[in-house]
Amino acid sequence: MPPARLSRRQAIALSAAVALAPGTSLGQAGAGKVAKIGLVQSTTGGSAALYGTEQKQAIELAFDEINDARTLGDITLRALHADDGADRGQTVNIFQRLIRQDKVVAILGPSLSNSAFAADPLAEQAGIPVVASSNTAPNLTKIGNFIFRTSVPEDQVFPTVLAYAVKKHGVKRVALVYGLDDALTRGAHDVQRKAVQDLGLEPVGIESYQRGDVDFSAQLTKIKAQKPDAIILGALAEEAAAILRQAKQLGFDEKVVFVGCNANISAKLFELAGPAANGILVGAAWFAGYDHPKSKAFVEAYRKRYGSTPDIYAAQGYDAAYLIAEAIRRADTVTDGRAVRDKLAGIQDFEGVLGRFGWSAERDATVTPKVLIGDGQAKVFVAAPAV
Amino acid sequence: MSEFYYTYENVIDLCLLNAVLAFGCLLLLGVNLLSLATGGLMAVGAYLSIWLTMQERWPFGPALLAATLAGALAAAGLGALVLRLRGDYFAMATLAFTEVVRILALNWDPVTGGALGVFGIPKYTETWQLLLLLALVVYFVWALRRSALGDRMRAIAEDELAVTASGHDVARVKLALFTASGAIAGLGGALAAHLNSFVAPGDFGFLRSMDAVIAPVLGGVWNLLGAAIGAIILTALPEVLRFSAQLREVLIGAVTLLAILFLPTGIASLPRLLVRGRIAQ
Amino acid sequence: MILQQLVNGLSLGAVYAVFAVGFTLVFGVLNVLNLSQGAVFMWGAYVGLEAVRTLQLPLPAAMAVAVVAAGILGVVTEWLVFRPLQRRGAHRWMGMVGSLALARILIGAAQEVFGTQVVRYPDSALIDATIVIGAARFQGLQVVAFGVALAMVLALGILLKFTNFGRAIRTVAFDETVARLVGVPVGRVRVVTFFISGALAGGAGGLWSLLFQSVSPFMGDTILLKGLTVLILGGLGNVVGALVGGLLLGLVEVGSIVAVGSGFRDAVGFGLVLLILLTRPTGLFATREAKRA
Repeated sequence: MPPARLSRRQAIALSAAVALAPGTSLGQAGAGKVAKIGLVQSTTGGSAALYGTEQKQAIELAFDEINDARTLGDITLRALHADDGADRGQTVNIFQRLIRQDKVVAILGPSLSNSAFAADPLAEQAGIPVVASSNTAPNLTKIGNFIFRTSVPEDQVFPTVLAYAVKKHGVKRVALVYGLDDALTRGAHDVQRKAVQDLGLEPVGIESYQRGDVDFSAQLTKIKAQKPDAIILGALAEEAAAILRQAKQLGFDEKVVFVGCNANISAKLFELAGPAANGILVGAAWFAGYDHPKSKAFVEAYRKRYGSTPDIYAAQGYDAAYLIAEAIRRADTVTDGRAVRDKLAGIQDFEGVLGRFGWSAERDATVTPKVLIGDGQAKVFVAAPAV
Repeated sequence: MSEFYYTYENVIDLCLLNAVLAFGCLLLLGVNLLSLATGGLMAVGAYLSIWLTMQERWPFGPALLAATLAGALAAAGLGALVLRLRGDYFAMATLAFTEVVRILALNWDPVTGGALGVFGIPKYTETWQLLLLLALVVYFVWALRRSALGDRMRAIAEDELAVTASGHDVARVKLALFTASGAIAGLGGALAAHLNSFVAPGDFGFLRSMDAVIAPVLGGVWNLLGAAIGAIILTALPEVLRFSAQLREVLIGAVTLLAILFLPTGIASLPRLLVRGRIAQ
Repeated sequence: MILQQLVNGLSLGAVYAVFAVGFTLVFGVLNVLNLSQGAVFMWGAYVGLEAVRTLQLPLPAAMAVAVVAAGILGVVTEWLVFRPLQRRGAHRWMGMVGSLALARILIGAAQEVFGTQVVRYPDSALIDATIVIGAARFQGLQVVAFGVALAMVLALGILLKFTNFGRAIRTVAFDETVARLVGVPVGRVRVVTFFISGALAGGAGGLWSLLFQSVSPFMGDTILLKGLTVLILGGLGNVVGALVGGLLLGLVEVGSIVAVGSGFRDAVGFGLVLLILLTRPTGLFATREAKRA
């Protein structure tokens, strides 16, 4: 029975058993072997919960599909989910328990890059592969050979989209806005600033804000006086939405182009920004309207089960789940993390939701970046017209 | 036991660390000062020790010592300015200090890495070190309470004006205590930094400071082990309540609130209350 | 640009002021910080939003519902946390920790009920008008919000200054024992004070969510810190101080973005608090407050 169909009480009882009973074998449901996989995603704890929940849902969907189709023969996948509340201390606690007590063969997560920097070294030492699907911080996979990610780092997509904006709209003067105290937005900003430099654009203003801010009018008013051609956002979806909306209220020139980052590829952006999201450019590994059979099937299955459109983190989580399953199938083991890691690293021709997928030498995802443009009326991102 | 330790090593380390920090706040609560400077002072110790071990290649011991001194020094400086403030004004001034330190850390990229933090910090902090430190701190508080200074602290808590009027230098006692608590926070910051291989400015903000001061209030200010018990409960509760999934936050709040309402002298008084209850039956 | 920034700062400051006035009122009467105020602010915002979205109420009615609901939540805070603690003569820290625990429960409950995603008002519920004066652009909503904020604070001022009940509140604030001696119904005064304080927090939550189109379970965390700042700027328990302090903080934040740089905004705000405390140990508008703290 898939976890989603458990009643609430059963689900609580099940997770209580996982949490409290050391060494209970969870492997009695299937006839064959059970591969236990840690699923460390924040489902509480602020905005991280948004992305964590999406990934958790997508991964559980993927596991159920794989188990139902018996893709792995006699091996059944079992996700042990634990919520770290976006608190790094808890992430380490969870990794330790998953590795040392539950003896998982792999871990999917955690939701936040900061948590990964603290917890991933434990998995590295223990020889347990980790696949992240929302960590975008630079240098993450330098932690070691067991650390992989399907989340495309910003530097793989942003230069392409900025170059597009320059070519299409003749952008010369740019202003940058970013979240000062969030690793994701700050990481995006660093990449954006470098791309601006590389393309020889003139930065006329750099403004920041802090988590929890909802009023960006002071920063925007300051930027407006500098008359930029484009405004580059290193912001989470809800923040980007507020910025777009307030810029419109402050009467920015219609010709000013907004260029966003990975985190903005979410239905939330359109819900919150409304028509103001019209025309925003983002570079992405994936979007919900991506014309690819696997992607279409995924979006449909996700909508059917959860009643909402998956965001990019869900898509990356879904591919991470299929990748780890494929590695387990090839390694044919439910206990040997090292064997699974080696098989995982060997996957080079995987056809996933993100399209053709492979690992870079640093175990980062390599996919073709797609330039997208926000359609405020249809409330979706669509492929941007060619230049 | 060793199986348990193996599985929950990090939980145990965090419990010990938070207990040590809670004692730093307890010292001040004893003279009616509620300090929210813990986060800021921890940041001072943490960033100094990271810089010393990672850039200057210092061994861990001297780096810890430096962090302790820096914490004490920063507290002495801050204390000289803000200790004359009363009640909640003092609490707010220390909170302002913590927040200013956090913002400076967010903007001081070369040392702190900004929001991206510092990663790959060598893990030097061991459970035995934390345990030893906690034992030392408990002994220190125990000895302090039995000393003449301890009597004066109690008197200050009761009636500060009377102590001043009787010719004692209340300001000096307070400054000494604030400096000692700064040393503990600085040391705690350094140990925290070398525990989980990563630090970011967000680790040292309002919430961290609040947790450190809630622990002794929850555990019981006048019980010697109250601060440790409070810290352990606050740290372990999220793990114990993990089964409750999304309701966890509600349950943590509820447990804290019930303790505040029904255990007037802190959770540390619970065993005694239970015993008394049994005898009464 | 300066005029526009003035508008930005004042509309932000007006919400800070409404929140802080409620905050400071409870402090004035009970001499205790109620740290659940941020969570009450958040619930006010959600109630207002749900009144529009599910009950289909018109905006003014929805705001009224939000204000009353938040007021009731304020009374619940007094009844659940502060009254039992005061009855047993607990230390004031207990009240701080207890109210913070209640805030945690309220935030957790909101997460459970509404989810963690940021939500906003439907477009149909909003006044979509822009007023242009010279180089500055106002939203119709900004003007209304500013007016409502001032009206709320003014109404409170009139209540405190000119009614018998206001006099009773002020007597309790001055000294509870004295109040009892002269026959003031102290218990009732406390309940009403908490209602007003909660109502103001809820009103601030409603205005905030309308102005900035953002409602989430965590929205109370930021405003709580701002409220504490304003409380100190204005002097603990000083209602006029909170009003002026709120507007001042809004202007200071905008000013620091313009002059110092947005990365240091909060450092400027808190630095100002430190500076003021060092020169005036009981806040900018200290009057009779020296003895209270």
